[in-house]
Amino acid sequence: MSSRVEILNDGGFRSDGRKQYELRDITIDLSQQGTADGSAIITHGLTQVMVTVFGPREAKMRSQTLHDRAVLNVEMSVAPFSTGERRKRSRADRRILELSAAIESTFEPVVQTSLYPRSQIDIYIHVLQQDGGLLQACINATTLALITAGVPLLDFVCAVSGGVHSTEPLLDLTTLEENDLPNLTVAVMPRTRKVTLVTMETRLHVERFRDIFELACEAGQTIHKEMKRAVKDRTVALVGAMDAGAKHPSGDPDRDLTMEDR
Amino acid sequence: MTSALVSKAERAYIQASLQATPPLRGDGRGLLDFRTVFLETGVAPLANGSARLNIGKMAHEGGGGTEILAATKLEVEDVETGDGVDGGRIVCSVSCSPSAYSHLSSNALDELQYDLTVILQQTIAHPSLHPQNLTIIPRKKSWLLNLDVLILADSGNVVDAVFMAARAALWDTKVPRTRAVEYHAPEEIQTMRDSAGAMDIDQREAIPQASGFDTREMVRTAADFELPDYWDEGEVLNGRERWPLCVTLNLLPPTHFLDATLSEEASVPSRMHLAFSFGKPNASKLQSMRLSGPGELDLSQIKAYIADGEKYACDLFNALEAKLRDEDARRNVKARNKFALR
Repeated sequence: MSSRVEILNDGGFRSDGRKQYELRDITIDLSQQGTADGSAIITHGLTQVMVTVFGPREAKMRSQTLHDRAVLNVEMSVAPFSTGERRKRSRADRRILELSAAIESTFEPVVQTSLYPRSQIDIYIHVLQQDGGLLQACINATTLALITAGVPLLDFVCAVSGGVHSTEPLLDLTTLEENDLPNLTVAVMPRTRKVTLVTMETRLHVERFRDIFELACEAGQTIHKEMKRAVKDRTVALVGAMDAGAKHPSGDPDRDLTMEDR
Repeated sequence: MTSALVSKAERAYIQASLQATPPLRGDGRGLLDFRTVFLETGVAPLANGSARLNIGKMAHEGGGGTEILAATKLEVEDVETGDGVDGGRIVCSVSCSPSAYSHLSSNALDELQYDLTVILQQTIAHPSLHPQNLTIIPRKKSWLLNLDVLILADSGNVVDAVFMAARAALWDTKVPRTRAVEYHAPEEIQTMRDSAGAMDIDQREAIPQASGFDTREMVRTAADFELPDYWDEGEVLNGRERWPLCVTLNLLPPTHFLDATLSEEASVPSRMHLAFSFGKPNASKLQSMRLSGPGELDLSQIKAYIADGEKYACDLFNALEAKLRDEDARRNVKARNKFALR
């Protein structure tokens, strides 16, 4: 390897101290952001992405609507201070268009668009920090934001990136590893075990592909557990708040009963 | 600035209640009260300084409010060949997230971004506020300070929020320490080598040289710089107390009020943005003034508004200053103690 940093040392540790198949820390924040219908902030290590979802709602431009299903509109913006070297990307930047097209096509078969004819679902992605695994973070955050918005999905979409260092597969790459290794991003639907996205921008030997692909599919299941827990926690909190609200009025018979019991 | 849709009846209702005695606002505030402001510095690890600000977040639901993310990033610029300016320069940019203005088309969004960028750039990059320590090597290298402001959500009073976030990010900015480096041509090597043949002697001893501690002359001839290895990230921007703050007076004659929500903004015809800088205690400077909306104002009225605005800005400045010092303490002293206790 030409890099000065050892990607994988003799002890089997990577540059940030992880083992080969270890994923980075995931934190998920599903609290409301502004006026959005659904929102999620996910961090994979130092990569942080915020997604807000609006809709299904009437499209701004009527001509773009379809008569039999909803249209997904993905818009992405990358904060200029998110990378090591400052770079301001415009909305029409090719890299951004490519990523948003990939995300759109990933979610097209998962969102039940046929339930909302002649409408539009807006997905706004904000990249706040980047340290590798950008597409994976975008996809995971979009899944969570769509779920918090209450948009019907067939399944979760869980994405993870993987790479190969000589013959050893690695999961969840940082920028440093991404620059040096052939890498791919895989998005899986964990319940049906279907794959909705496999993308690769570098060259990888065909014999190595199978290993890393199977490993990434398995890692998707692990990420699914984390995402499911976050969604469940939020729903429990919401249901709890609803119950508290329902019991609050003083004329509630249930409440009187408990008062007498005491 | 943004046109949230308010019906005629709603507008009349809001105006009437603001002009009533005592004045009434939708959320129960007084005319001069701000909503709760949340501020955190050091939110972007890859930036030289950063801040996240929220005005009017709902206490329980955790949503709503005007949300701003501001960050500064320093770049090295060459004065002689590049487009650097001796003494460094500051470039501001404001970008609005489409989720904050989901009713606007992308062209309208660009225009709004441009408007806000101009307001911020003209005020912040003014020579009177320019920090002295953006020079690396005089007439050769200087820092370019990029200030990027991201509006993530807008629920009114966006200009004040942008200025507050920008001030916090600039306050938080650390300029890396640099040391000038000078190159000496080893003149005598050639002659020495000729006489010594293939023998390789350390030639440096032979060159008559000034003391290595004498750096007085160095700055003038320095060619490049290096970053010394040091424990902290660098020094703060020079004169960071001077960065301006903006207060927006929403004018509804005979009264005016602060920190308007979206619907209040939409029902008031004109507003006045006043940016003040408080460099020395009890000495404020009006850095910029902008009147937006139709209508006219008497000169005497403007004077009165500026005097009032200065008072509000001073209160805001004191509160923000206290918070920023508190944040500094949280991130340095307290973090260090916490680490020591582990």
